[in-house]
Amino acid sequence: MKIFFQTKPLILSSIFISLITIVSCSDDPEDPIVENEEEVITTLTYTLTPFKGGSAVVLSYRDLDGDGDGEPTITNGTLSPATTYTGALTLLNETESPAESITEEIEEEDADHQFFFVTTMSDLQIVYADTDSNGNPLGLLTSVTTGEAGSGIIQVILRHKPDKIASGVASGDITSAGGETDIDIEFAVTVE
Amino acid sequence: MPGLLMAQPCQLKVWGRIQDGHSLDPIAFANVYFKEAQQGAVSDANGFFEIPPLCQGSYHVSVSHIGCQTKELYLTVTHDTTLLLQLEHHSQIMDELAIAATAIQEATTQELMLIDAYAISQNTDKNMANMLDNLAGVSTLRNGNNIAKPVVNGLYGNRLILLNNGVAQSGQQWGADHSPEIDPLAADKITVIKGVSALAYQGSNLGSAILINPQKIDSEPHFHGKIRYFFESNGLGNGLNIRVQKHHQKFAWSLVGTAKKKGDSRAAAYYLTNTGAVEGDFSLQMEYTHNTALKSDFFLSSFNAKLGVLRGAHIGNLTDLEEALTRSAPFYTQDQFSYQINAPYQKINHHLLKWHTAYLLDEDHKFDFTYAIQKDLRKEFDVRRGGRSDIPSLNLNQHSNFIEIKYKGYFSNDWEITSGIQLNRTDNFNESGTGILPLIPDYISFETGLFAMATKKTEQFSFELGGRYDYLDQSVATISTGIPKAIKRYYNFAHNIGLAGGGSYAFSNGMDLSYNLGLASRNPGINERYSNGLHQGVSGIEEGDPDLGSEQSLKNTLSWGGKINTKILYEILYFDQAIENYIFLNPQNEFRSTIRGTFPVFKYAQTRARIFGWDFTSTFLFSDSFNASFRASFLKGTDIENNSPLIYLPSNNLLLTFNYQIPKIGNWDQIDLELSNKYVFEQKNILLNQDFVNPPEGYHLMGIKISGERQLDRNRLNMFLRIDNLFNVSYRDYLNRQRYFADDLGINVIVGLSLNF
Repeated sequence: MKIFFQTKPLILSSIFISLITIVSCSDDPEDPIVENEEEVITTLTYTLTPFKGGSAVVLSYRDLDGDGDGEPTITNGTLSPATTYTGALTLLNETESPAESITEEIEEEDADHQFFFVTTMSDLQIVYADTDSNGNPLGLLTSVTTGEAGSGIIQVILRHKPDKIASGVASGDITSAGGETDIDIEFAVTVE
Repeated sequence: MPGLLMAQPCQLKVWGRIQDGHSLDPIAFANVYFKEAQQGAVSDANGFFEIPPLCQGSYHVSVSHIGCQTKELYLTVTHDTTLLLQLEHHSQIMDELAIAATAIQEATTQELMLIDAYAISQNTDKNMANMLDNLAGVSTLRNGNNIAKPVVNGLYGNRLILLNNGVAQSGQQWGADHSPEIDPLAADKITVIKGVSALAYQGSNLGSAILINPQKIDSEPHFHGKIRYFFESNGLGNGLNIRVQKHHQKFAWSLVGTAKKKGDSRAAAYYLTNTGAVEGDFSLQMEYTHNTALKSDFFLSSFNAKLGVLRGAHIGNLTDLEEALTRSAPFYTQDQFSYQINAPYQKINHHLLKWHTAYLLDEDHKFDFTYAIQKDLRKEFDVRRGGRSDIPSLNLNQHSNFIEIKYKGYFSNDWEITSGIQLNRTDNFNESGTGILPLIPDYISFETGLFAMATKKTEQFSFELGGRYDYLDQSVATISTGIPKAIKRYYNFAHNIGLAGGGSYAFSNGMDLSYNLGLASRNPGINERYSNGLHQGVSGIEEGDPDLGSEQSLKNTLSWGGKINTKILYEILYFDQAIENYIFLNPQNEFRSTIRGTFPVFKYAQTRARIFGWDFTSTFLFSDSFNASFRASFLKGTDIENNSPLIYLPSNNLLLTFNYQIPKIGNWDQIDLELSNKYVFEQKNILLNQDFVNPPEGYHLMGIKISGERQLDRNRLNMFLRIDNLFNVSYRDYLNRQRYFADDLGINVIVGLSLNF
């Protein structure tokens, strides 16, 4: 051992210096940059305006913490029987300030997106009132016609990159649409 | 006398004998070839050979035999010469173990399994984990075929240590979809240690280890090398691997480069769209001998890959997953083959720089100094809205520094002492600009480790005992998911102790018995403590627990091997591992509403677990040229506290191979025919509520391989043809996460060439 220490001071000192360097680096990480989550959709508003005039019914879903355990705020609504409404969807990202419109992003990539509307009320009809750049339905605008009084659920689904030419998809049947779900929420609706 | 030599310069006799390097048994039908003279001979039943008369001069000689790595020599013939040549034999399991034991001197009483250079060269198309897949007790956790990590006796990821050239592989070991960033074609030998050897190595683990060692530079004064090429039909993959080297008096170098490209793989009935891969790697190795007591080597390697992930495996919510489970072919399946890789895909770069100096104080005392830097860059790209698919969703940058000082001494009464100190600093950092909150936080970890081991080896008996202490100091900066987002810091300290002991005894009748007992600890992984949010691939919300403590494991391994009538070789390994505070993902009785729909919530929790099982390996030598080998692995894992099975453990499996060897047909020699049958059982040890879908059914795969060698001018050519999944069976494997969406690989025909020059 003694010989080792005498003959190899260079190795020893380099080891020592490396140890010091490595030990002194045991510090805290810098403050992480909180990402600007541009893609997040926090808020969906479905505004139903009676075709023949009158005050609009606003259904909304708002969840600011995304996957976090905070509960979403859901505003349900009441519609009149045998009435036709114009339905308009707006999407927002409220984690940003000012809130960013996701509706615009969907419009820009309309061929890659489609909304689907599923309802438990048999006499409630929701049909597409807009098309994408290829002439296929998109669903940001819809026409909603109520039937008799009752209550039920309207489910709004947004699919990213669906197969728009699969059977039934153009008429709003989601069965063969595929794609990835970006939005999947439900509103409780009363018709009276 | 010179006059006499001059008179008959081309009448020199060279003859000799070829033996197995370990058993010293003669090797028949081995081929010895003197390149410059273009003369060769084949050894007879007693291993003897005689080369036709040679001229005086220097010759490159190749010695090859079925199942052995071709040996290359450079020698000068001035007189009649007798050669005693030893080859490292590969096909007999007992020898395999002997080779492995000499390769890793730290591990004498350990259960070892080995993939040697010959086996690597017959599987050039595979990634590292897939290469190990046929070893008893080793399985593969996959996310499609490109992304694969090894599982040893049920443990993987953070619980298993991977040592690349003696340095613990840094990187994102925590995720099931992160495969080790290692080019197996730069390796000469891959060893799997199933016991508790890992005491000498730093890094979190619970015992088992995989060692990847590069090829040593041959002491050959000329420029030499090897070119390997493969083509695979499934995915139309091509790969090229070139190795060159030269050994000077004091300085030696070698350079290895690998390039691979493949397109969409194909299941039995459809293309697996977007499963292409591109890889480019290189490594440079240099050795310098200062003097007989001081040697240094330097190693630089770079691994770079772009790995496609099945397009149909990218889903938005649970409804999408449920829909995917019922589809016959995954959504987005194209009916045409393509080399294109679109989102989702991964882009990985891993660089290692290592400097090692060995100093021999005297014959009995040796010091080793190692310094290594690793850089691991991982980018994951998802299908995103608004043209953001080109922006990584995850962008991790990990930098680690490692220093090790090791001492090894030989003492009286056959005692050997190894001791060392290791320091490692890891800085894990999320590059900004992803537009997504990171899945795992930024952190800096500092680990200090001390270990000492004593071993005693005699002819019959070996014994080892060792201990290890590790101190972890970790500083973590997380971002809360609540509103407003806040930075929360955590400081973790942990002291871990490891202890291991074992003994083995070689009976006079050739039977071997060995027992090993080891205590090991593992700190919780960064994901287990701090992951928080939606795991897209599995449609669940995963929540870490910052208060998790270390896992402690006590592992017993007992192995017993021997020979029956010199015709049957067998080995059985039993292992039983108790893990206190075993960390697992616990499904909660909770569904969380988000704008994408509702998701099940999983929380990391701890329990008392037990994993036990056995691996059986045997070879039946019907004759010198015909043998069969049988391997079986059984394993069961239980959560003792909750009396339920552990998820994601390998299914039981069987492997039966028949091997027939022909010494020579025409210009070809060392011809080897192999037929393999693999049966993987259905994983029955699982409850319905532990997964989204029942485990897939058991499956049976057959494969064949034909390989042979021939002399091409002065070079040696080795060629193989292999067919995997011969009958194009549709199947899904429990450990492949792609099983929710698609079938596993269909038939694959691989042609490989290897040329030594």
